[in-house]
Amino acid sequence: MFTMASEEIPLALKNAVLLARIIDELHEANEKLELLVNLNRKLLDAQKGSLQKTDSKRKPSQDFKLAPDVVALLSLPMSLRKTVMVLYKLEKATAKDIANETKRLRAVESASANQLVRLGYLKKKREGRDVYFYIQPQPEIKE
Amino acid sequence: MSTKTISIHSSRGGTGKSVIATNLAVILANRGSKVALLDLDFRAPSLAMAFSEAIKIPVKCWLNDFLNSKCTAEQIFTDVSGKYNLKGKLLIGLANPAMDAMRDVMEKSRSWEVTAVKKLFSLISTINDMHVDYCISDTSPGMQYSSINAIVSSDISLIVTTLDSLDLKGTEDMLTELYDALDKKVEVLVNKSSPETRIKSNKKNGKLADKLEKILKHPIIGVIPCYCDVLQTERTTILALEKPNHPFIQDLVKIAEKLTVTT
Repeated sequence: MFTMASEEIPLALKNAVLLARIIDELHEANEKLELLVNLNRKLLDAQKGSLQKTDSKRKPSQDFKLAPDVVALLSLPMSLRKTVMVLYKLEKATAKDIANETKRLRAVESASANQLVRLGYLKKKREGRDVYFYIQPQPEIKE
Repeated sequence: MSTKTISIHSSRGGTGKSVIATNLAVILANRGSKVALLDLDFRAPSLAMAFSEAIKIPVKCWLNDFLNSKCTAEQIFTDVSGKYNLKGKLLIGLANPAMDAMRDVMEKSRSWEVTAVKKLFSLISTINDMHVDYCISDTSPGMQYSSINAIVSSDISLIVTTLDSLDLKGTEDMLTELYDALDKKVEVLVNKSSPETRIKSNKKNGKLADKLEKILKHPIIGVIPCYCDVLQTERTTILALEKPNHPFIQDLVKIAEKLTVTT
């Protein structure tokens, strides 16, 4: 009986020590995981910032407004030039309205007009189901 | 029928653009058409002088005022048909020849030019509503904002050139850099050609036109010889009215016929 009891105590002790070690290691792993999560978060933030910077390079900022005057028109590719010329006449038009004037496909005009929006030459606004493109009226600034 | 808009342009000054614009407008109006003649040469307006006997200067509303949104499109026109006893109608819209007005146009910004081209399109729309058959614009020579605005808003342009090498080179460059780039219909008119083309038969002019068409890669609508008496005529004299049988006017009558067919 004594022998059995003496054998059982060290085993329980061993288990308790083992358990304590496992808990310690779990804590350590948890700390490391937390560190990794924090590092990952920092990396994601840094990536997001860099993407925003690249985007702002691609798109003209709010302050930068292009005047789509006839001289600027000459620097545009022919496909885009035609779209702007129609908007001088129509003031505000959907891709379908522009296509009626240029006799090109609506999809072509939609692509051209959206490209001109990205370049900062045109603005667009949604009215119900229709998207209208127009030349942004600009304040008179003497150059 | 919608209004046919024709802009008269040149690469350099002194080609006879304004005289041609004035006489073409009178020729078309005297054929019974309703014509609007616009002076879009804001840097050196000359039509106010040409029509000074028919209008009271200063006019109530100049084209400059319309572009500056100070008056409506209808207000810029003066009907001179009665004064000249024309078969049709001739409405003229003049640019302000005062120095201040010319300076004001020179100081305009690019943003204003965007508004100006849009206003020009709205003016043409009004002219169309007024059932005008032909709208002729006299423009500034070379690559000026006002002339490019006029070209952009026209159905067809008539480039007037002399045989001067600089003028021809300028015309060639403009055709490539401007007209082809804007995909605009254009005809070239050679004015003040060598007087010998007047003495010789039309074949000589035909050969010259063929040669120039090859160089310029655009159609030549006509070759008008240089007439010394036309050069010496006062600006207030409108030859199409005072000397309708003059060979210069007869040449322009043919040009007018071709232009109305082309447009």
